[in-house]
Amino acid sequence: MNRAISAIVKKDMREITANRQLLFTIVIVPVVLTLVVPSVFLLTAHFAPEDANDLQELMKLMPGNVQNIGMEELMVGLLFDNILPLFFLIIPIMAASVMAASSFVGEREQSTLETLLYSPLTVKQLFYAKVLAAFLMSMLVSWISFLVMLLGVGLESYVLTGAVLHPGISWLPVMLLLSPAVSLIAITLIVRGSAKAQNVMEAQQKAAFLVLPVVLLLAGQFVGLMLINAWMLVGLSVVLGLLAWFLLRSSLGKFCGEMLLSGR
Amino acid sequence: MNAVVMNHLSKKYSGGKAAIADMSLTLEPGEVFGFLGPNGAGKTTTVKVLNGMLQPTGGECLIFGENPSNRPEKVHAISGVMTEHAQMYNHLTGLENLIFYGAVFGIGEEESRKRAQELLWQLELSDAWEQKLSAYSTGMRQRLSIARALMHRPKILFLDEPTSGLDPESAHNVNQMIRNLAKDKGMTIFLCTHQLRYAQEICTRYGLIDEGRLLVEGTLEQLRAGMGSGMKLRIRTDRLPDSIAGYTDADKNEKNRGEASGSRERQGAYDIELAIKSEEEIPRIVSRIVQGGGNIYHVSAKRPSLEDIYFSLTAERR
Repeated sequence: MNRAISAIVKKDMREITANRQLLFTIVIVPVVLTLVVPSVFLLTAHFAPEDANDLQELMKLMPGNVQNIGMEELMVGLLFDNILPLFFLIIPIMAASVMAASSFVGEREQSTLETLLYSPLTVKQLFYAKVLAAFLMSMLVSWISFLVMLLGVGLESYVLTGAVLHPGISWLPVMLLLSPAVSLIAITLIVRGSAKAQNVMEAQQKAAFLVLPVVLLLAGQFVGLMLINAWMLVGLSVVLGLLAWFLLRSSLGKFCGEMLLSGR
Repeated sequence: MNAVVMNHLSKKYSGGKAAIADMSLTLEPGEVFGFLGPNGAGKTTTVKVLNGMLQPTGGECLIFGENPSNRPEKVHAISGVMTEHAQMYNHLTGLENLIFYGAVFGIGEEESRKRAQELLWQLELSDAWEQKLSAYSTGMRQRLSIARALMHRPKILFLDEPTSGLDPESAHNVNQMIRNLAKDKGMTIFLCTHQLRYAQEICTRYGLIDEGRLLVEGTLEQLRAGMGSGMKLRIRTDRLPDSIAGYTDADKNEKNRGEASGSRERQGAYDIELAIKSEEEIPRIVSRIVQGGGNIYHVSAKRPSLEDIYFSLTAERR
């Protein structure tokens, strides 16, 4: 049945990319977060007077070894290793939320859900295909954004300070573990919501006002750990990954065709 | 093995309305079964229950030995379903849609493309296969849905109003195709329709339902036998002997009756329809009219059509 699942994943992705309006909503968040915001920050750091009192105060709070590097370099490092990773919890979820929210209810609204349910896929496999499509989309957007950011911020930093950017080790668990785990939790919850929603708008509202704030609030708590230790981050990511897996497993058994068709 | 078995099948919706009430029916492989009934009679609900889309509230059903309530995916692998609510994707072309559904049924892209092109050609959509579905007319969508239901070469095909929205020529074509699928490929067809004339052209057996109940089922001959012969004799004559008028309730059916005469024999122009039991009665009636001095301008005998049987049965229930 892998062929069937991959057909559904491809079809769902194509549906998004073929719709300019949807594509714009997906692209705009990463562009703002990975290009516009860092650029503003870097320019501010570059042109801000180095003897500003607040910044001196901030420097004093930093561990001893960083106090010796230049203020601007420190600011770039701070931005790159401590603020930008947080964006990579937001980007994949935002990118996938539109797709995940319309996953079931969107099919129901265009009367294609019944056709899919007449396929030899079980409802579980169908649910899995829908989650997988949104998850792959979120990761795709996330990694492309990461590369764009690496190039953009790296180039700007080089031009402005002459320093070559070295991504910290904590990026590794963020991109490979934390971001996928948080994304999977959010997508599973949104797809579940989509299966029960009466229309796409309801599903999107649930996603934007209920699921996203809660998931981001929870995940945001762990980002502070990046300052402490990358291994700690790995541990917590694994915990979140397990949580995502259990959530997905429990959701898979929750639905039958009749429920999906009626949205109840 | 039977193609379809329904054993005291019932489906009640949560509101308490019985969409299917205690329905029992068996279909042999290769049959073209016409499932006929007015709107809201329970035809579509029956198709959905038979395909595991809805859970029955009583009884059970089997499709080629598989229970759709427990393993719907097993049933879907061998059944093709075309209903009004099973649509395809507007942003894909006709061909892309068929290839997608082919893949969903586990068919490789090349094979899917081959099958899709063949079906599109058969259903006269070969000119439109590169058009997006959003540009398709209702009739074209309908035909593409039939193609979609046939992509995985099912053993049984459920068709819900396949010819509604089609022009007469396309409807005839689709009917021809359905007939050939049963005849050449041995496919079992479960056809829900209002269009009794088309149903009579292709079905080998019928079930008439109303308010979720199966009123009668059988071949056309069995249904005719069930309502007497139902045969109607139409005669146009200028003189109607009383023996004939008494023989039937001809007065009720007469049209264009001329001046009433005071004599026992009625004169004028009569166009009458008589209910007879068999063809044997025709020569006796004709000779009585001729012997009574009447000229006969028209004689025809008509056996009840499916439509006649359907209306007489539904009228009985109202």
